[in-house]
Amino acid sequence: MTVAEIIGQSVLRPDAHDKVTGGKGYPVNVSLPGMLHAKLLRSPYPHARIIGIDTSEAEKLPGVKAVLTAKDVPQRPFSPVFFCPTEAKSLVRDMVILSNRVRFAGQPVAAVAATSEAIATQALELIDVDYEELPTVFDPEEAMQESAPQLHESSPNNVAKNPSFAFGDVEAGFAEADHIFEGVYQTQRVHTCYMEPRVCVIDCDTQGHFTVHCSMQHIFGLREKLAYALEIPESRITVIKPPYIGGGFGGKLDIGYIEPIAAILSETTGKPVRIEQSRYEDFITTARHPIKVYLKTGVKNDGTITAREAKSILDTGAHATHGAEVIMVHGLFGVVFPYKCENKKWEGFTVYTNNMIGGGYRGYGCPQGCFAVESQIDEICEELKLDPIEFRRKNAYQKGDPHPFNPAWTLNSYGYEEAMDKGAERIGWSQRAAAGSSPGTKKRGIGLGTQGIWVSGCMGFPDIYEHTGAIVKMNSDGTADLASGTVDLGSGQNTVLCQIVAAELGLEADQVRMSYADTDTVPFDAPTHASRATYSSGLAVQAAAAEAKKRLLEIAADVMEANPDDLEVSGGQVAVKGSPNTTMPVADIVKVAESPFIVDTEHGPAPSSPPQHKGTIIGTSSLAPPENPTPATALFVEVEVDTETGQVDVLRCVYAHDLGKVINPNAAEGQVEGGMQQGIGYALMEDLLFDTETGACLTSDFLDYKMPTAVEMPRQIESIFIETNEPSGPFGAKSLSEQCVTVPAAAIAAAVYNAIGVRITELPITPEKILRALGTL
Amino acid sequence: MSKEHYTKRCKDLTEGDKRMKQLVTLNINGEEHQLAISPDATLLKVLRDELGLLGTKRGCDTSACGCCTVHLDGKAVYACVVYAMSVQGSEVTTIEGIGSNGNLDPLQDAFIQAGAVQCGFCTSGIIMAAKQLLDDEPNPDEEQIRHGIAGNLCRCTGYAKIVDAIKLAANN
Repeated sequence: MTVAEIIGQSVLRPDAHDKVTGGKGYPVNVSLPGMLHAKLLRSPYPHARIIGIDTSEAEKLPGVKAVLTAKDVPQRPFSPVFFCPTEAKSLVRDMVILSNRVRFAGQPVAAVAATSEAIATQALELIDVDYEELPTVFDPEEAMQESAPQLHESSPNNVAKNPSFAFGDVEAGFAEADHIFEGVYQTQRVHTCYMEPRVCVIDCDTQGHFTVHCSMQHIFGLREKLAYALEIPESRITVIKPPYIGGGFGGKLDIGYIEPIAAILSETTGKPVRIEQSRYEDFITTARHPIKVYLKTGVKNDGTITAREAKSILDTGAHATHGAEVIMVHGLFGVVFPYKCENKKWEGFTVYTNNMIGGGYRGYGCPQGCFAVESQIDEICEELKLDPIEFRRKNAYQKGDPHPFNPAWTLNSYGYEEAMDKGAERIGWSQRAAAGSSPGTKKRGIGLGTQGIWVSGCMGFPDIYEHTGAIVKMNSDGTADLASGTVDLGSGQNTVLCQIVAAELGLEADQVRMSYADTDTVPFDAPTHASRATYSSGLAVQAAAAEAKKRLLEIAADVMEANPDDLEVSGGQVAVKGSPNTTMPVADIVKVAESPFIVDTEHGPAPSSPPQHKGTIIGTSSLAPPENPTPATALFVEVEVDTETGQVDVLRCVYAHDLGKVINPNAAEGQVEGGMQQGIGYALMEDLLFDTETGACLTSDFLDYKMPTAVEMPRQIESIFIETNEPSGPFGAKSLSEQCVTVPAAAIAAAVYNAIGVRITELPITPEKILRALGTL
Repeated sequence: MSKEHYTKRCKDLTEGDKRMKQLVTLNINGEEHQLAISPDATLLKVLRDELGLLGTKRGCDTSACGCCTVHLDGKAVYACVVYAMSVQGSEVTTIEGIGSNGNLDPLQDAFIQAGAVQCGFCTSGIIMAAKQLLDDEPNPDEEQIRHGIAGNLCRCTGYAKIVDAIKLAANN
């Protein structure tokens, strides 16, 4: 099987058979003998001080084994974010495991471990907490006022972080402009809605070593952050990599409260402790941050952008967590980088409120920026009567340009314009009608959104890990095992990484298996996040496979009496180049390496092969990728807006992505189609709502938090993949995942405008907002 | 909470579990199981915690996500809102109970072939919902398929390849 027969093929997922028959490998299924179940008591108040807490009745309940409150746990402030070192300058360490100060409704104040979930739940009812309520603030701009309640003493005016960037001369740029456009764009809080709840089972042995099973996107980050919060060395924790997890999407990139609490309860009781969150608890554990963007852009009559100035206000809730990092990525990749313009200025504010904490979510600040930037471009084009594609072309980067993130890198592969052109042709862009001209009460419109600059991992970001490693080990049956810390979130990382190893090693695609890994046995790996697995982990597994192959061919050369450079391996056979009939199965070479030195033959004991042939054929790697190539994306959507009900239906999507090279087309389409589901939810319906007085979550289950079902999804989602062959990537690949959710809201908002001639600048675009904008409500 | 209320609640809770477990016989995947279960135990809880049938998943526990979809006498139900006590005398089928003679059900095979599985946490429930759909209507059109799985949420796939898989299974 040649490289071309593996790379670019829709190889079936190795985990699919198990998953269609029930799926055993999820952390939620882990059960250990003698395991206890723990539950958390959560504060009903959004801002309060605990002045008394009585757990004595709970402790008396038969079956209760331990109760924890703030006095029982380490009080070292930490940031839960996985992908930065614990003491990184860019993080804000403002959380503790359990505190006597409550800053959001639902913050845990106590925990109980018992012999059953029912007893633990009953015991929570027996804990008596005396709260002193404190004044609250839920709006980040109100929180920035001096008179607002202060959440953290170290952050005056509730500003946890205040980064800014400036390039060129913005005043001169605006002076040069023929037109200046100003707008305010607001996004809402949404949840990643991974289907498997956050769950952990932690077992502390008698020597104080913790073994951790957890539904998370990063085994090494979990180990590091847990160790820091518990104030113990990392080497006392082993995190098991789950065979798979039930989705992540960025929502499993930080320790929550449950992991340190389960660890302490296990140490206290000497039993394994399991905590599984309810869906309500999941809803208040992680979210994409709402960001309000004030955006000002200067343009010339011909559409050239001369200056851009922006201010972004991010509601990070009770703790900074990911808000400390999201604001930077949002500012740079969401607002500053996407278009060429010499004069730019941006300032961001990560602001504390008494809302729930935020988290990671595909796009990590970029969807909020993309919605603002692309919506305003649509306004500019409408006002100046410019074609939105030509406007973008005029301000776009070109292949060969320096990368805006790091000018030392070049955009060696860049299919931004090709993505727009191919998508435009497919959707019939040239037939697009003028805004609001669609007849009748059900009006159709077509919109465009793009994202020209994004990441393939985190190379180049200060304080963010990016190196990764792998072990490739060959078996005597001619197959190979791949061990890597990269967690398969569901998007097919295992499949794609095994394809890369098979292609490099010259095996059949199904001859490589992703095997067991934990933090003790594989090299460090950055998280499965930031669209990095195919590119960064792909490079690492390819390097490990190349090393194994080198050893394989050294032995083969001796056995076959050839020069290693004259050998090639393909389809599980080692062959002499140019003599396809001179072959030897890979399995036979591995057997030579693994066989005893002396074998008993019919002529008596004899050496099987020289000692230098002996030893497992293995390749290892631990490396950082050379750069951070950008994907590029253009999305065209057609919508129908019912002007009587305000309902928006997305009818058709044409989503074009420059992803370098498609490793597995079926898996890549799956990313695009799933991304559209999340994007349509973000654009039209999803909204994590909280009572503005009590801070209580109003959308705490899927009955109230609406996300698209199969009925709401468009019947046509068409993927176009632009293969630009990224020179630094594995077999030419770069990234895809996050681009699939970054652009939909902007494209749908533009399509709604094209349909009804009214623009909505605050997500989600609900029927109420449509009718109000049309003046009929 | 007032002191009086608090004391009463402590008493209520610590007097012990008045809901004695009861012995029931449940027919799951064609096998009879005798179990002692609490009257408030859901079918989902009994399947997962008592019988080790982990294919049925808990995604929400509030009858909204569909991850726990099983068949009760051939009809798809959410196991998280069915009391286990109430299914005595009925036939319960879970994802582990479909297919025959060691072969996959055509729907399971179609999900593999179409690439309809990503994280897979919704997969069991969606296959069970689709199975009822195909039992009722062997040749559904796209709208019938989409409405047939509208009670099941998926966050990975956008449902596109799931719809493809159900079409594929219907055609085979």
